[in-house]
Amino acid sequence: MMAGQTYGRKLGVGVTVTIAFTLISVITAVIAMSFVVNAKDRVITAATTNLVGAEALGRILDTRLADFRGYLLYRTQSFADAAAADRQRFQQQLATLRGAMPDTTTRTMLDRVAAAEEAHAEAVTQVMNQRANGATIEEIVKANDTQAVPLREKLQTELTSLIGRVRIDVESDRKESTDRAALAAWGIVVLGVLTTACAIAVAWRLGRDLKREVGAAVGHIQSSSAQLEAAASQQVSGGRDQASAMSEITTTISELLITSRQIAESAQRVSKIAEETESAARAGDATIDQTRASMTAIRTQVDQIVQHMLALGEKSQQIGLVVDLVSELAEQTNILAINATIEASGAGEWGRRFAVVAEEIRKLADRTAASAKEIRALIEDVRGAVNTTVMATEIGAKAVDSGARQFNEATNNFREIVKLVATTNDATREIELSTKQQTTAVEQVNVAAGDTARVSRETEASAVQTKATAAHLTALSGDLLELVGSGKH
Amino acid sequence: MTRPNVADRVSRLRDEFDRSFAEPVRTFGADSVELLAIGVGGRPYALRLSQASGVHPDRPVTALPTPVPALLGVAGFAGTVVPVYDLAALLGHPIPERPRWLVLTTGTPPLALAFHQLDHHLRVPITDVVEGSIGDAGPHAYLQGLVRLPDGNRPIVDVPATRSLVHQLAGHQPTSEEAS
Repeated sequence: MMAGQTYGRKLGVGVTVTIAFTLISVITAVIAMSFVVNAKDRVITAATTNLVGAEALGRILDTRLADFRGYLLYRTQSFADAAAADRQRFQQQLATLRGAMPDTTTRTMLDRVAAAEEAHAEAVTQVMNQRANGATIEEIVKANDTQAVPLREKLQTELTSLIGRVRIDVESDRKESTDRAALAAWGIVVLGVLTTACAIAVAWRLGRDLKREVGAAVGHIQSSSAQLEAAASQQVSGGRDQASAMSEITTTISELLITSRQIAESAQRVSKIAEETESAARAGDATIDQTRASMTAIRTQVDQIVQHMLALGEKSQQIGLVVDLVSELAEQTNILAINATIEASGAGEWGRRFAVVAEEIRKLADRTAASAKEIRALIEDVRGAVNTTVMATEIGAKAVDSGARQFNEATNNFREIVKLVATTNDATREIELSTKQQTTAVEQVNVAAGDTARVSRETEASAVQTKATAAHLTALSGDLLELVGSGKH
Repeated sequence: MTRPNVADRVSRLRDEFDRSFAEPVRTFGADSVELLAIGVGGRPYALRLSQASGVHPDRPVTALPTPVPALLGVAGFAGTVVPVYDLAALLGHPIPERPRWLVLTTGTPPLALAFHQLDHHLRVPITDVVEGSIGDAGPHAYLQGLVRLPDGNRPIVDVPATRSLVHQLAGHQPTSEEAS
């Protein structure tokens, strides 16, 4: 029924049950005590009111008899009045008793007492009247003995029986109330036993749960403490690493601060240079105009070069034609020499001598042909060079044109640059200002990093403290396990 | 660099030319042989100058209707009509290119052989000529000997054997007066 409940709830339920039983016991005891008290009160009331009242009837009767006798002796009115008052008290007491006694038997007895008293009172009244009328003592004694005494004895007998009856009632009430008090005492004892048993059961159950659940929880706490200790160890080493890293960071930030200051100085210099650049750029406008004139002159020169090179190409072509002619002549000379040799071979001794001359002519023709071939190659080289030069020159002319256009663009760009340099100058001043602010910020960061390094060291110290606390917690868990009886020893 | 070289060459040529007049009269003996280095159908050959009676470039050749592929036509030489045969076709490796050069052979009847290229005229020691027929039969029978030259060996075309081949192709029977 209690499974799955927390130990505190169990403890609460157990204590609640115990308190409930205790309250029930207390309430029952109070009720029983009030019950017993009521019973005893009723007994005491009966004893004081009924018994004493009944006995008081006897005493009032005696007093009335004394007053009656006094009147009979002295015939004094005061005695007569006292006797009347006594009778009135008697009747009042009787009425009181009647109200206090609901019992039928007792009421019947009271009625009989009242009737006897009535009869006795009439007899007494007659006797008193006789006395008042002047009867003597003896006559009165006689009358009294005959009229009043039997009635008085009857009345006394009735009173005695009433008192006896009341006494019996009181006794029976007392016995009844004593029985009830004993019953109540037994009830309280039984409830006390039940409460004690319940408290013992709750204590046993709570003890068992404490041993089992709290023991398990403390075991968990112990293992968790061990883990916490390990984690704290790691945190110690981590904190140490962090502290060293923060030291490095602080060093780096210090270097950064130095660098930042250097940057600020550089920005200042750049600002100065930008101003100089702006003035130099303004001075460059004149140079641009001169350069444009120079480029126009270059364009004219290049055109002339192209014309000259084309003329050179034509001349070299004409030279080639002449060389072709020379080659042709050399070949024909060669043929003639060969044929002369052939002819000479058939002309005897003079022919053989002529063959030598023909041989020389042929050699000359060969050399002429070879030279013409060289010239042809040279002319081809020249023409190639001329063509290359013309192409290069035309490319150069186009490049000059393109250069001129680009120069115009460059001029425009340059003027744009002049404007931009002015803008750059402003921006550089802003950079200079920003860099100074940045330097200030880096100084603040340096301070913050120093603080962080200090905090890291404090964290490390705190982790050491945590580790010690965790170890202490582990030991405490062991002690607690022993306390709850689940120790491993 | 070219200028001094050319000047040297001019000077040397002038010296050689002047010296040729100072040298004693000399003749060529039997220890050398005159050859024409020619290109026939893209191949190098040599021709004995003693077997030629004239070399002529670009001579007009009049084509004749003939079943002989080697016969290019006829050409006129000093008032004589001479048949012209393509030496490349006779040697067995004709090419479509028209030969430029004609060599008029010695002997009768007159015969001209056409070839494509005249390399040069040269005189070589007789020791550089290896005598002997190249091949025993077929077209190689008219290649007699070999000349060793710096630019390679050249077979020597034998004109009489070529003439015999031409006669054989033309179905001509030479008379005893006709020299080979």
